[in-house]
Amino acid sequence: MSNKDLKKLIEAIIFTSNKPVTIKELKFYFKDFETKELRSVLKELITEWDNAEHGFNLVEVSNGYQLRTKAEFSDEIVNFNKEIKKFRISKASLEVLAIAAYKQPLTRLEIEQIRGVDCSGVINQLLDKRLLDIRGRKDVPGKPFLYGTTDEFLETFNLKSIKDLPTLKEIEDMEPELKLDF
Amino acid sequence: MSNMEQLELPYLVKLQVFEGPLDLLLQLIKKNKVDIYDIPISKITEQYLEYLEVIKQCNLEVVGDYLALAAQLSLIKSRMLLPQIESEEEVEDPRAELVQLLLEYERYKDAAEDLENRDILGKEVFIRGLSYFDEFGDAAQETEIVKTDLWSLVDAFKEVCIRRQFELTEDLVFTVESFSIEEKTNELLEFFKTNEKYAFKNIFNKMNSKAEIVITFLTILELVKNELIGIKHENPEDEIELFYIGEEDLEQ
Repeated sequence: MSNKDLKKLIEAIIFTSNKPVTIKELKFYFKDFETKELRSVLKELITEWDNAEHGFNLVEVSNGYQLRTKAEFSDEIVNFNKEIKKFRISKASLEVLAIAAYKQPLTRLEIEQIRGVDCSGVINQLLDKRLLDIRGRKDVPGKPFLYGTTDEFLETFNLKSIKDLPTLKEIEDMEPELKLDF
Repeated sequence: MSNMEQLELPYLVKLQVFEGPLDLLLQLIKKNKVDIYDIPISKITEQYLEYLEVIKQCNLEVVGDYLALAAQLSLIKSRMLLPQIESEEEVEDPRAELVQLLLEYERYKDAAEDLENRDILGKEVFIRGLSYFDEFGDAAQETEIVKTDLWSLVDAFKEVCIRRQFELTEDLVFTVESFSIEEKTNELLEFFKTNEKYAFKNIFNKMNSKAEIVITFLTILELVKNELIGIKHENPEDEIELFYIGEEDLEQ
C-alpha cells in the first residue's frame, strides 16, 4: 500500500471510530508500516484539517486521534440539534478531578483534606460518569479505595495524556516567604 | 455577630459559589485584599463567622465542615493574642499551618479552573453522534473490549456462589481437593480456544466444590489481567461474557 492510500484509509478509520484511534491500534493493523510512518501520516492529516476551511479538526487526545468540531461552533451545534445535551460539570466535580489528576492514585480522605469538605457524593458521581475509577486499595488501616482519572477524563478535557496537564505551581517555591517574624 | 438583620441579601447570593470553608476563607482574603502570608486573623475570623451564621440559617448540611474551620480560626486568633515569651527557639507563626492549607487548596482550585477552560467534549467540541455519555451500549461497540468494572464481576460471582450453595446442601461428600491457579489457567485457556465466547456464570456450572469455584474465579481475574481473555458486558442487564484473546495477540 502506498503512503497516499494509507493516509486515506487511516482518515476513514478515524472517521468511523467513536473512540480516539491509537497508534498502537493502527500499528497492530498496519503491520507493514513503521510507527514512525504512521505518525508522520497522522501529522500530515492534522495539518491538512487545520489548514482546510472545515468545521472540524483532527485532534490528538487520550493517547489517540479523533475528529472533533471546532470550538467556535458549539452554540450553534446545540441550537441545531436539540437532542444534544450540553455536558455540565460542577465546580466541586472539577476540583475533585483536578486533585485526582495531579495526585493519583489517592483516597477520598486525601481529596477531602485538600478541599476541606465531604466529597463522597461528588466522587460517586464521577465514578458513574467514568471520569474517575478505582485503582486499588491503600495499605493503611481500613484499606480505603484509591482513585484515579480515566481515559474518558482525558477525552472529556481534551488532554493528549495525563502528562499533558499544565504543571502545578509549587508551594515549596513560596516557602521562604512563609517564615514570618512577629 | 448575632443580629441577623445586619446581614444583607448579597451574602445569601454569594453563598452559592463557595465550594467549602477553605474557599470561603480564600474569597474573604481576596475581598479584603490582604496578604495571604499575613492574614489579619481577627478581622477575617469575624467576617467568617458572619457568613457561618447565614449558613446556619440556611440549614445547610455542610455546616459541620464550616464549623471545624471556625474553631481553628478562633484557636489561631487566641494564640496570636498570647504574649510572646522570649526564647531562643524559633516560634512558629500560629497561622502557618492554615496558610499551607489555603495555598494547597488554591492551587487545585486554579487547576480546576484550567480544566474548566479547556475545550470540553460535549460542551465546546463535539464528536460524531449525539451526547457523549449516551454512547455506551452502542451497536458499534459490538466487537470492542468493553470496560466493565470489577464490582459487576464480583456481583456476578456472588450470584454464582449463592446459586451453588442451595444445590450443594443435598449431598455432603468429603474429598481431598486440590486446585491450583496454574492448572486452572491451562484448563481455561484450552477451553476458551475452542469456545469463542462463554457466559461468565455458566463456567461454574459443572463445578461442585467451593474451592474450585473460587480458584476458577481467581484464575479468570488473572487471565483478564494478563489480557489472555477479555470480558464483554454491554448493558448492565446483559450477561457478562468471556472471550479468548490469546497469546499471539499479546506479542504484537
